[in-house]
Amino acid sequence: MEDEIIPESRDLGRALCIITGASKGFGRTLAFQLSCLLKPRSVLMLVARTAEQLNQLKEDIITLYGGQNQLDVRCVQADLEKKDGVEKTVQAAKETSVSEMDHILLINNAASLGDVSRFAVTFTDPAEVNRYLSLNVSGALSLTAGVLQAFPRSLGLRRSVVNISSLCALKPFPSWVLYCTGKAARDMMFRVLAAEEPDVRVLSYAPGPLDTDMQLQARRSSGDLQLRRSFSSMFSEGQLLSCEESGAKLIKLLLDDDFQSGAHLDFYEL
Amino acid sequence: MSAVSGFGKALVIITGASKGFGRALALSIAPRLAAGSALILAARSDDRLQELRADLSRGESGLTVRCVAADLGCQAGVDRVIDEIRDIHPDIHHLLLFNNAASLGDVSRYCHDFTDVDEVNSYLSLNVSSALCLTAGVLRALPQRTGLTRVIVNVSSLCALQPFPSWVLYCSGKAARDMMFRVLAEEEPDLRVLNYAPGPLDTDMQLQARSSSADDALRNSFSDMHAQGQLLTCEQSINKLIKVLLEDKYTSGAHLDFYDL
Repeated sequence: MEDEIIPESRDLGRALCIITGASKGFGRTLAFQLSCLLKPRSVLMLVARTAEQLNQLKEDIITLYGGQNQLDVRCVQADLEKKDGVEKTVQAAKETSVSEMDHILLINNAASLGDVSRFAVTFTDPAEVNRYLSLNVSGALSLTAGVLQAFPRSLGLRRSVVNISSLCALKPFPSWVLYCTGKAARDMMFRVLAAEEPDVRVLSYAPGPLDTDMQLQARRSSGDLQLRRSFSSMFSEGQLLSCEESGAKLIKLLLDDDFQSGAHLDFYEL
Repeated sequence: MSAVSGFGKALVIITGASKGFGRALALSIAPRLAAGSALILAARSDDRLQELRADLSRGESGLTVRCVAADLGCQAGVDRVIDEIRDIHPDIHHLLLFNNAASLGDVSRYCHDFTDVDEVNSYLSLNVSSALCLTAGVLRALPQRTGLTRVIVNVSSLCALQPFPSWVLYCSGKAARDMMFRVLAEEEPDLRVLNYAPGPLDTDMQLQARSSSADDALRNSFSDMHAQGQLLTCEQSINKLIKVLLEDKYTSGAHLDFYDL
């Protein structure tokens, strides 16, 4: 194997980094992990539905560096299920001064598990399914589209789009019809984007089973008994991953930047 | 009609039945149904459904044909289809639901043009949500019982597996549907679930594909297929689908493509 030349300190450049679903779980961890890889005068934009948790996160990040790293942390309270939420986020991104930015990094992390206590045959109400897809599929596409339009291809500008995916994008889980369907749709959506925009670096990253609120919901509420038990035993046997551990692998991928655009990469395969 | 060549006494529901693959499917299936069967045709346009009903009733006797002009993207539309099956004769042996209704979406634009959440939502509503909700509603209205085989067909596409530039809505919708029906197959072992990719058909949708696709290479490739007579007729593709259904050997939840069969 050839020796790799790794620069002493690696970073993601002077970036506009947008993280959706940043208020808790994986998004929150990524915000911390990414904050130390952004060059001075970068903008870290944190998007979520609840302002309180976002503002707390912003304070925590600023405190961490004691204001020394010249990072502009901005909070956007927006509901990405709705048109105005997406527009508000795109508008906030446009308002950052990007003339000297060399990297636009969008992390589509916001997602919901959906009601996993029920099986597919109970989903008879299109309004319920539509609402789920709006946040988990349409919102991600429209935000990505808006950001790419706001920051078109230009010389010296690196553009990266991350889709936080799941094994569920590839494999059907009983009682998880909304989640699996949404993740499969997202993976395909970002594969199409990668096929269309050769200069955009697109990555669907499946972070593995994380010890988050979503996982708690999974082991408590999954309608499928076997699945619920398997999540419970992963929890009790300490097999869940920490967000930090999984986030570190994603960040290495972004720093190395040699993944195939559009690929689905799983924590366990890296 | 022998048991091998037909579906016996069946309830058949076809969405998007007014034209293209759905219409041809109705015409191909009808002669394979035993007396006492019912065929429910759903689509948004009533005129074309009535036309199809007239065409169907010319040949068949003992077949009940019902038309439901409804928008399956909303609860009321789904409910209207379910209402039609409530009084279906209880001694049917076969339920066949063909989730065929679909739209291509605007293929003249690329991903970065889809900034409007509402536009994407209305696409997914017709192409993803409605298929799930109709399937769920039909399965609840006709629960499992001895002597009844329940078959759910998702009319899929190569686009469920492979990204096509400028086809983001179609590819995402088809990928979503395939997964949805794979989950259903996992959950309900008594069901027979099939994702069938019919191949490139000589329909209005294909015309739209070769005239509007923003991606040049894709548009040219569809035009060539058309010019060189490589598009399949709906009947060609339906014959394979019917053969697969009658043989009944596929793995439930599988994605099968015309060209792999």
